[in-house]
Amino acid sequence: MYAGPVQDLIDELGRLPGVGPKSAQRIAFHLLKLPKEEAVRLARAVIEMKERVALCARCFNVAEGQECGICTDPRREHRVLCVVEEPRDVVAVEKTHEFRGRYHVLQGAISPIEGIGPDQLKVRELLARLEPEQISEVILCTNPNIEGEATAMYLARLLAPLGLRVTRIASGLPVGGDLEYADELTLGRALEGRREVGA
Amino acid sequence: MRLRHLWLVDFRNFPSVELEPAPGLTALVGANGEGKTNLLEAVAYLATLSSFRGAPGEALVRAGADRAVVRAELDPQGEGRGSTALVEAELHPAGRDRVLVNRQPLRRASDLAGTARVSVFSPDDLALVKGGPVHRRRLVDDLLVASSPRLAAVQADLERVLRQRGTLLRQAGGRLGADVATTLDVWDAKMSELGDALGQARASLVDQLEPLVAKVYDQVAATAAHVALTYHAPWRVGGLAHALAAARTEDLRRGVTTVGPHRDDVAFAIAGLAARTHASQGEQRSLALALRLGGHQLVAEASGTPPMLLLDDVFSELDADRSAALLVHLPMAQAVLTTTGPVPGALAPELVVRVRDGRLEPG
Repeated sequence: MYAGPVQDLIDELGRLPGVGPKSAQRIAFHLLKLPKEEAVRLARAVIEMKERVALCARCFNVAEGQECGICTDPRREHRVLCVVEEPRDVVAVEKTHEFRGRYHVLQGAISPIEGIGPDQLKVRELLARLEPEQISEVILCTNPNIEGEATAMYLARLLAPLGLRVTRIASGLPVGGDLEYADELTLGRALEGRREVGA
Repeated sequence: MRLRHLWLVDFRNFPSVELEPAPGLTALVGANGEGKTNLLEAVAYLATLSSFRGAPGEALVRAGADRAVVRAELDPQGEGRGSTALVEAELHPAGRDRVLVNRQPLRRASDLAGTARVSVFSPDDLALVKGGPVHRRRLVDDLLVASSPRLAAVQADLERVLRQRGTLLRQAGGRLGADVATTLDVWDAKMSELGDALGQARASLVDQLEPLVAKVYDQVAATAAHVALTYHAPWRVGGLAHALAAARTEDLRRGVTTVGPHRDDVAFAIAGLAARTHASQGEQRSLALALRLGGHQLVAEASGTPPMLLLDDVFSELDADRSAALLVHLPMAQAVLTTTGPVPGALAPELVVRVRDGRLEPG
């Protein structure tokens, strides 16, 4: 146990994801040693973020203002929607520069263990967007794990009767990798999802 | 695999020992409680990173020591084939164990599968015959993963789906609202896909295992007893999707998944009679050993190199005739066995080591 304020900070840091008691202690003492202005800069960044950033009213990505930069960008193709679990997935897809449509962030995946069902996700909000925005294709871009797959399957069933194109991202081998280093499951999936090669 | 050299530091009751097992059979002799099984446990630990006795990690570190070290030089491909690997495991009573393969940190325990592999028989294996279905499912599933590593992911995913589905069933509290129904449909679809794949794999494994086990049993028991293995998975008749749909009301009422691969069993019969209820104690012990040795052969054939065979206290399990039959039948690979009594003459191990209070002496 340390003097009041130090222990308070350690406790707060220890609540962050991926930070254990040891790391919390190390960070706290690092901050204690820092010049005051640097520590204040960090504190201000946290406050700024909480005050200025909220979720986009349309797609639930992080946004400064009412809607996020992608939703307000007139150059984006507005009839194609990429459905992801978290805002960080938006960043990942954006880095590819392959996708010119807009996003819809579910804010999680179906997982009863964590108490998350369709009602806890932005599913109703997704359905409400389809007609007004004249969406013609929905790309299901959830994680390729059990919960992500289940969420994709749930959405696919929900969207199937609505007469729009519903696609799921492929899973397979990393580009530039070697077959011999691929794990069996990934390689198995890649074989399953093989494509005809045009002659 | 072929174990060339083993070093232990503060593992169980061994302060510091080293052993160079023979290429063929090594016998560890000594009274009870001297540490024979601990030595087998250390070798098996290198392959699975867990104790075959189900002991927690802290039990493996010698009392008072802050860590245990298991180090081994081995040939993953077997005697004189491929290159030698150095596997080092550092066990801490509290906190995470560290494993290095050729001085490189190991990322996943399953990556060891290609380097160190063992088949273990221990007196506890009588549970395969006399215990609950969980023991038999584990036997089949472990053999599946050893012969086809891809299935480990199917098993893990299926377990995860079962947990998610079970939680959803309990949350529903017996009522099937429209929302629960659609979510349940999704988990059912996922579970059917995985369950059908696992059921198929288990069925074909049991088919392959049966003749191997029957042959070993006949050799061990010195009879022609006709041992039969039958895989019990009633849901496979119409497929898992159909079975789950039929059981849905019951599942909702009880808040658990009542059908599926997690309820499967394998029945053993000797000369047409159920081994669990009708076989004698001696027959049951012979069958348990035959299951392990049959499984060992299956993995050896599937992977091309036999795992190292570890036989704990095998003579206390069988009478003299049966012991002799076992020895004749020992597969042509490296093996280590433990015994409290004298080593039977017909056996002629290449190396006999006496284990006495945490030390090793020439036998």
